[in-house]
Amino acid sequence: MLEVKNIQKSFGDLEVLKGVDLQVNKGDVVAILGPSGSGKTTLLRCMNFLERADGGTLTFDGESLPFQKITKKDVVRLRKKTGFVFQDYNLFRNKTALQNVTEGLMIGRKLPKAQAVELGEQALEKVGMLDHRDYYPSQLSGGQQQRVAIARAIATKPEIIYFDEPTSALDPELTGEVLAVMRTLANEGMTMLVVTHELGFARHVSNKVIFMEHGTVVESGDSYSFFEHPREARTRAFLQTLSGELVRAC
Amino acid sequence: MNHLWSLLAESFWQILLPGLTMTIPLTAISFSIALVIAVAVALVQFARVPAARQIARFYIWVIRGTPLLVQLFVVFYGLPHIGILIDAFPAAVIVFSINQGAYCAETIRAALESVPPGQLEAAECAGMTWGQSIRRIVLPQALRTAFPPLSNSLIGMVKDTSLASNITVVEMFMATERIVARTAEPLALYIEVGVIYLLFCTVLTKLQRAGEKRLRVYG
Repeated sequence: MLEVKNIQKSFGDLEVLKGVDLQVNKGDVVAILGPSGSGKTTLLRCMNFLERADGGTLTFDGESLPFQKITKKDVVRLRKKTGFVFQDYNLFRNKTALQNVTEGLMIGRKLPKAQAVELGEQALEKVGMLDHRDYYPSQLSGGQQQRVAIARAIATKPEIIYFDEPTSALDPELTGEVLAVMRTLANEGMTMLVVTHELGFARHVSNKVIFMEHGTVVESGDSYSFFEHPREARTRAFLQTLSGELVRAC
Repeated sequence: MNHLWSLLAESFWQILLPGLTMTIPLTAISFSIALVIAVAVALVQFARVPAARQIARFYIWVIRGTPLLVQLFVVFYGLPHIGILIDAFPAAVIVFSINQGAYCAETIRAALESVPPGQLEAAECAGMTWGQSIRRIVLPQALRTAFPPLSNSLIGMVKDTSLASNITVVEMFMATERIVARTAEPLALYIEVGVIYLLFCTVLTKLQRAGEKRLRVYG
């Protein structure tokens, strides 16, 4: 359903992505792991055009486009098929929880208000935030804000949702509620690409794992073999340093 | 002493009336146009529109770098020299709008830049175009930040309209000058007109406070 080939990106002299390949099938939950500075967030941002990739091709929904030839119109059109969840939530500060969800439906997709509100309420219900529909982001905890952000991403019924370290800004006791929502989505067959440091999530919820370092993919595969039989020495070292975290249940 | 009080009471209405019919309309019309100019000028800079951005910088540079009084004279006394005749009131509206637009543009640009970039990114990721994202998400947040400094500019402008007396607009200050010429009581009358300006600005200060309270809803 989604394929990225040979994607490259530099910031000045710094080469952040050195030709990364990636493939996501419908229903896949792909976790992207790697130490900080490995380029995983940049990869995700390039895929949703928040950064402009310097080279490579994107194939999405049977449509193949070189990154450099993608126009503003393509960007708006392609983004309507995707959802994006940010590390620091980025809820619209001037909108209530419900308005955060309905805004893209009413303005971006031109749905009538009644229908947008219905879809918005369904999405908030799914993340357990319907009773907070009229709260402003400043009145919500980090975990609650992130759940509203997930509702905003799913309300448009996207074909894939990108998650950029969705729990990294949260206190440990709040990550659970967000991961639980993501797990529900995964069980319902939502296609998800998740940059994360949560090894438990990568191990037990995602079916594929990609391990990145220095702008390249070191190893990728199904999550069982990745964790149980890592091929690369670098992967083993990475898992070993973080193995304490594996104990944490997801 | 009695004579002075009755002069002040009598002149109060003679000064307040042009305040209501000239100073306030001049301020309200000019400031409204200035806000439209300011948002446009701020946005072309924020969006980095190539040529328009240079023009915006040039406009701000010229307007902020020259005295308001000089601008009034150029338009009202200068332009007729090349055949462009503008009546006093519209000339004042043009100059005040363009002048205030330059200052407010900088206020709004700073406010736009203070909105976290993630707000725009999130809006675009939700399927909105750049224009929709600005209009619905970024600009409302920026205008809230800009509200106190813009109120400041408005209050400043109320008093700056007294300069329009120099191009024959009979506003409050000009009205006062005429009464002074007739009665030879400059101290009392100039203080009186000052107090009336103070009254106008006090009302605006109260309105500002009420406005800020309203804008505070989303914390």
